[in-house]
Amino acid sequence: MIELREIGRTYLRPNGERVEALRGVTLRIERGEFVAVVGTSGSGKSTLMNVLGLLDRPDEGSYWLNGHDVARLPVDEQAALRNKRIGFVFQSFHLLPRATALENVELPLLYSDRASLDGLGRRALEAVGLADRMSHRPSELSGGQQQRVAIARALVNEPDVLLADEPTGNLDARTALEILDVLSALNAAGRTVVLVTHDASLAARCGRVAELQDGRLVRDERAALVAGAAR
Amino acid sequence: MRAARLVGSSLTAMGRYKLRSGFMMLGSAVGVAAITLVVSVSRGAERKVLSTVRQLFGDSSVLVMAGGGTLMGGPRAGAARLTVDDVDAVAHEVPGLDGWDAQQGLGVTSVRRGEKSAMSRVLGGTERAERVWSRGVSRGEFFDAAAVGASARVALIGETTARELFGSEDPLGAEILVGSVPLRVIGVLERFGTDLHGMDRDAELLVPLTTVMRRILNVDTIGAAKLLVRRREDVASTAAEVKRVLRARHGLSGGQPNDFSVVSTVQVQKMVDQARRVLFLFLPLAAAIALLTGGAVSAALMLASVSQRVAEIGLRRAVGARPRDVALQFLLESAVTMMAGGLGGLLAGTLASRLAAARLHLPGDVFSWSAVALGLALSCLVGLAAGVLPARRAARLSPVEALR
Repeated sequence: MIELREIGRTYLRPNGERVEALRGVTLRIERGEFVAVVGTSGSGKSTLMNVLGLLDRPDEGSYWLNGHDVARLPVDEQAALRNKRIGFVFQSFHLLPRATALENVELPLLYSDRASLDGLGRRALEAVGLADRMSHRPSELSGGQQQRVAIARALVNEPDVLLADEPTGNLDARTALEILDVLSALNAAGRTVVLVTHDASLAARCGRVAELQDGRLVRDERAALVAGAAR
Repeated sequence: MRAARLVGSSLTAMGRYKLRSGFMMLGSAVGVAAITLVVSVSRGAERKVLSTVRQLFGDSSVLVMAGGGTLMGGPRAGAARLTVDDVDAVAHEVPGLDGWDAQQGLGVTSVRRGEKSAMSRVLGGTERAERVWSRGVSRGEFFDAAAVGASARVALIGETTARELFGSEDPLGAEILVGSVPLRVIGVLERFGTDLHGMDRDAELLVPLTTVMRRILNVDTIGAAKLLVRRREDVASTAAEVKRVLRARHGLSGGQPNDFSVVSTVQVQKMVDQARRVLFLFLPLAAAIALLTGGAVSAALMLASVSQRVAEIGLRRAVGARPRDVALQFLLESAVTMMAGGLGGLLAGTLASRLAAARLHLPGDVFSWSAVALGLALSCLVGLAAGVLPARRAARLSPVEALR
């Protein structure tokens, strides 16, 4: 479903320094996979996530999503793809502080072409177990609940892939596991999930681990190998 | 459909950022209120000016005043040596005149009836005043030439003075006192209203000219005269001719200034046009500046809001907003908020112009749909203009940077 071929991305720091965030990354992700992207900070994880999420454009290589090369599509078409095909979950949740949980979840629908939006937000919140928190504001929710609202928001448009960038980075260990359980359950239900994390124990619970180092993909291991170690 | 949803969400945003919206609305409201007030009061003032000028001057006339009199001021005793004979001579020598009336008056003075008294302007005129000033009596009779010839002790009374002295009683036939001179009321003057100075012209007494001159003031000069010109296009030349005749009669040589002043409807028309320009150009311009100031403040507030909501903008981009959706959101937020403030301003402005109209004795009904449309359109326009810069800035943010 997702195929990155020889992706390169180079930044220019304000001081003129060149940073090669990604170098020749080739990665294929099939529908229904649960992939953990690991690496130290500065290894290129976030850049990879931004490229996968069509928020950033690679300088080299191609990105095939559902059989189309999308890396160089016009800005507006990429926005439409983000809306329809991709769901984002961030480390810092990025909820609108003055909006209710339901309003937050329904935000992507504002930019959707769907004819009927009735009940989609409600159903997404129910799916993450927050049916009774619809009209709470983020400040009235725990960290775990806030991240679940964010997951519901990522799901509301039924995307092909869920991209979670350090979704547990701001949460305590127990809540982190809770969030991972939510993601695992979604994956079990058929959703493709890509999880960026620096936490090896979390990564170990995913079906596949891809490790980045200095912008290069240095390891790509399938479930059978890592599953045993985690349990 | 997406646009409709965006409008809805901008209304929601207005509620979410109450403080910012409140200040923006205040700026817009003040501007629109000022424009509404100025436009409707100017409109009332224009109607007032035109109707009063028509009442005083008619279509074509020349006003002669003793001394350096002012246009709208009443005639003044003792200013110079304008006499009935002067006006009579003018009427004979200048062609194209259609009648004249001379005036002499006391200004505002106390008029008594038994125990009661009323402050009232006392004015002397000829029997021709009825036609020349287009103001007759609503009850009773106007005094005739014989009364003027005999310096008859009679008076025509204005409605206000009648009410103050007589209440609901019939003033006709009753006797009133001006100074120590008793006058019999023979008629009630037609209602006039207030003049351009805001003076109530129904608090007035009209007495035969000779009665004022000989019995009350004991003078042989007049304060002013009004000459009707038969043909409108002759007004300017007639005014010049009147000047020439008067200068000759007063023996003024080349270098000496006039000891009288002449005002024609042509000049009045010029002054009215000038006043109009002030009313319809400069005042609304001044009010529009208030709205522009509000717009500038709003632009600054919206810019601050964009900086404050960088993460939100990044998020919206991530969930599928195109740059133009983000731009539209901020434009709409600005326009919707300013229009909401504009509505408030319309309300306040309309109320204020009602009050102003009542205080200034202007024609009452000042509400107009065109003012409402203008106020809303202007506030919407200013809102859009104020939103342009913030919207561009928001749309140009890179989503990756914004989400960091």
